[in-house]
Amino acid sequence: MISATEAPAHGPGFLARKDLGALFALVRDDGRRLIGPTVRDGAVMLDELDGPDALPEGIRESQTPGRYRLEAGRPGRLFDHTVGPSSWKRWTFPPTVPVGTTRRDGAVVAFEPATPDAAPLAFLGVRACELAALAVQDRVLLGGPVADPDYAARRRSALVIAIQCTTAASTCFCTSMGTGPEVSDGADVVLTELDDGFVVTAGSRRGRELLERLPVRLATAEERDAAAGGVAAARAAVAANAGVAAPGLPSRLMAALDSPRWADVAERCLTCANCTLVCPTCFCTSVTQRSDLAGAETLSERTWDSCFTGSFAAVAGGNFRSRPQDRYRQWLTHKFATWVDQFGTFGCIGCGRCVTWCPAGIDVREELAAIAPPPRAVVTGMHLPAVTPAPDEAWLRPARVVATHRETANVTTLTLAWEGQVPGAGQFVMAGPPGFSAAPISVSRARRGAIEMTVRAAGPATAALTALGHGATVGVRGPLGRGWPLERMLDRNVIVVAGGIGLAPLRSLIEAIAAERERFRDVTVYLGARTPRDRLFVGELGAWSAAGIAVTETVDRAGADWLGRVGVVTHLFDHAERLPEGAVAAVCGPERMMEATVEVLRARGIPDERIFVTLERHMECGVGLCGHCQLGRFFVCRDGPVFSIAELGDAFGREGL
Amino acid sequence: MADRRSLAAELAASWFGSDLPPHARTAFLELAVEREVGAGTEMVREGQPTTGFGLVLSGRVALRLHVPGRGQVTILTVEPGDIYGWSAIVPPYRSTSTGVAVEPVRALVVDAVALRAALRADDALAASLYPRVLEAVARRLDGTRLQLLDLFAGQVEASW
Repeated sequence: MISATEAPAHGPGFLARKDLGALFALVRDDGRRLIGPTVRDGAVMLDELDGPDALPEGIRESQTPGRYRLEAGRPGRLFDHTVGPSSWKRWTFPPTVPVGTTRRDGAVVAFEPATPDAAPLAFLGVRACELAALAVQDRVLLGGPVADPDYAARRRSALVIAIQCTTAASTCFCTSMGTGPEVSDGADVVLTELDDGFVVTAGSRRGRELLERLPVRLATAEERDAAAGGVAAARAAVAANAGVAAPGLPSRLMAALDSPRWADVAERCLTCANCTLVCPTCFCTSVTQRSDLAGAETLSERTWDSCFTGSFAAVAGGNFRSRPQDRYRQWLTHKFATWVDQFGTFGCIGCGRCVTWCPAGIDVREELAAIAPPPRAVVTGMHLPAVTPAPDEAWLRPARVVATHRETANVTTLTLAWEGQVPGAGQFVMAGPPGFSAAPISVSRARRGAIEMTVRAAGPATAALTALGHGATVGVRGPLGRGWPLERMLDRNVIVVAGGIGLAPLRSLIEAIAAERERFRDVTVYLGARTPRDRLFVGELGAWSAAGIAVTETVDRAGADWLGRVGVVTHLFDHAERLPEGAVAAVCGPERMMEATVEVLRARGIPDERIFVTLERHMECGVGLCGHCQLGRFFVCRDGPVFSIAELGDAFGREGL
Repeated sequence: MADRRSLAAELAASWFGSDLPPHARTAFLELAVEREVGAGTEMVREGQPTTGFGLVLSGRVALRLHVPGRGQVTILTVEPGDIYGWSAIVPPYRSTSTGVAVEPVRALVVDAVALRAALRADDALAASLYPRVLEAVARRLDGTRLQLLDLFAGQVEASW
C-alpha cells in the first residue's frame, strides 16, 4: 500500500518519476487495465502496459507528410513523442465489436443484442488534441437522439490521465484547431513531464481521489514554471508549423465544392483509407454478418469503415461517390465543414496523423489552403460537448411475416405483425432476414398491429427478403427517420409523383390522405413505371380514385396490348394548363427522375419549400451513427429521408456528395 | 362534327395552339380538317411518306416502332393538345414511327403538302409554327433521353 506523503492541498503537485510505478499499481488495484504508449513495430503505439518500463523512454518521433521515424529524445523522458498511428478510439470505439447474435432453431428466430464489454480501463498519456478527439466522438456517438451503447459503456468507465505536450512534430496543428497543447478539460489527471518527474493536477473528483493515494507533494514554483515553459515551447513549435485557417473555414470550403483541386488531389490520393483509420474522430462503421455452416447462428459485428472505400456510398442501383475525388471531397468537407453543422465542432483536432500516415504524403493543411484559401471571417472556437449519454438503443427485434404479396416479377410486399410504434407515412425500418445485413426498407402501409414493406430484390438482403414466406421471421428496427410532412399538406392541394419502386413510401402517404380525405384539397397522383408489368399496387388504384384522389399512370415502354399512356412521368403534368394553386408536392423515385420532376414542378410555379423528395442512400445503422448516408450537413437516415428541395439546396442532384 | 368556331376555341385551348398568335391559328385552321377515327386506325406509318400533320383534340395515339422478335413496341403516346406527324414538315417527310389510335381519336389534320406550301408562302406562319413544333419535338427528345436511362430498372452497370 502506498502512503500519500505531503498530498497537495492546493495547486499542482509533483510526482517523482520513480513513483510512477505506484500509479500503475493503484490503477491495477482498482481493477483497470492500463493503456499507454509503448514502442512496437518501429512506432509509438498505444497498448496495454505492465509498468513504467514499457513507456517509450528517451524516444521522440520525426514526422513529416508520408514519413514517420523514431529518434533519440531527451534521455529519461517518457513522453517526448507526440502521437503515433494508434489513437484512443481503438479502446473507446474498437475496430470490431459484436452488435448482436441471431439464433435460428427451426422456425424460431431470436435476436440478441450484444452486451457491451465494459472492462474498466485507464488511459495514460492522453494528449490535449486527443482529449478533444474523445469529446468530438462523445458528441457524435452520445450526443445525438440515439447513443451508441457500446461506446457509452467503454467511455464512462475509462480513467483518463492526460499529458501536456512539451514537444511537437512538424505535422502537429492543434493550435490552429484550438485543441492544445494545453489540457483544459476532459481529463481526470493531468501530467506535465519534467526531467525527474511530473507536475500533476486533478481534473475531476475521480482524479483527485487518485492523487490523494499517490506519493504526491506540492510542486515548487520552479517545477510549475518548468512545466509551463515546456508546454509553451510546444505551443511555439506547433504555431511555427503550417496550420489550418479555421475561422470561417466551413463556409469557404462549401463554397469550393467545384474547385479543380479535388480532381488534382484525387490524382495523388490512393483512396487507401489510412487517413480515416488513423484519425481519432472518424466514426463510420459497417455491420457484417458471420454465420455458422448450419445457418443456425449469425454473429453481427460492427467494424470500422471508411468513406474512401469503393462501396461506402453504394446502393443497389449504383454508387453515389464512385470517383476518388468525390470521396476525398466527402472526407475533407465533412471534417472541416459539415461536421460543424452536424455536431457544432470541427471533425479535425489537429493531431496530424492523416498527414504522417498518408502514403502519398497528402497534407490536409496544404489542400485546405489551396481549396479554401484563408479568410476574413468570424472565429469559431471549439465547443467541447458534455458527455450526456442517451438511452440505449435496442437492436433488431423479431417480426413475423403474416402475409406476402407478389407485386411484380421482382417486387414483393411483406406484411409483418407489428407491436411497436406505428410508423408515420414515409418513415422506414432497417430490416433483414436472419444471416443478412439489414437494409433500409420503406414502410408502404402502416396500421395498428401490422406494417407492410414493399421490397424490390436488388441485392442479397433484399432478394432474401422477397423470398420469405408466410411465418418467416425478419429482424427489424424502427420506425426510423423523418417521413412526409402531412401537416404541411393539410387544407392544401397535394401532388404526388412516383417512379418505379418509389411508389412504396408514397403509398403510405396516399393512404394517410385517403383516411382523412376531407382535410386535404385536390389530390393528384402521377405514377410512372418501367413497363405495364412493373406497375405496383394495381389493385388499389381504384380505391384511391374512389376516395377522391385523381390517379394518372404512364409507363416508359409497352407492347401493343397496352392502351394506357406511354412516356416519362413528367409528361403527365408538364402540359397541364396549371398545377393546383398553392400545391405541396411529394416525389419519390430514382434520383435522376426526381431531378427532372423537380425541374417541371418549379417551372409550373411550385416553390422549393413545398417540393418534398425522399432520398435513397447506403444505410447501415439507420440512426445517424455509422456515417454512410451522409449528404452534406445531413445524415439521410436521421434528418430525412424526406427533405424539401429548399433544405437540400445545392446538395440535391450534385454529383458525388 | 364541331363547327369552325368551336374548333377555333379548341385549338386556342390546346397546348399546341395556346402559344400560337391569332394569325397562325387562323391560317392553321383554314388548312385543317377535323377527323374522327375509331380505335385501331393507323394515322401514320413508320417509313412511309407522312401525309398529314395532326393535332389530337381527344383520344390517344400510340407511336410504335416495329422490333423484329418483339413486335410493335409503344414508345410514346400522343395525348390531347399534342401533335403527331411532325415529319410532314421535316425532310425527308417520312414517318419515324407508326401512329395508331388506341381509342377513338378526334384530331385537326392538315395535309402535309399543303402545310409545307403554306409555310413556304407565309413567313409569319412559319415563324410561329416551327418553334412550337420544335418545342413539342424537343420535349419528346428530353423524355426519350430519360427513358433511355431506364431509371426504373434498378441495377444498371455502366459498362463504359
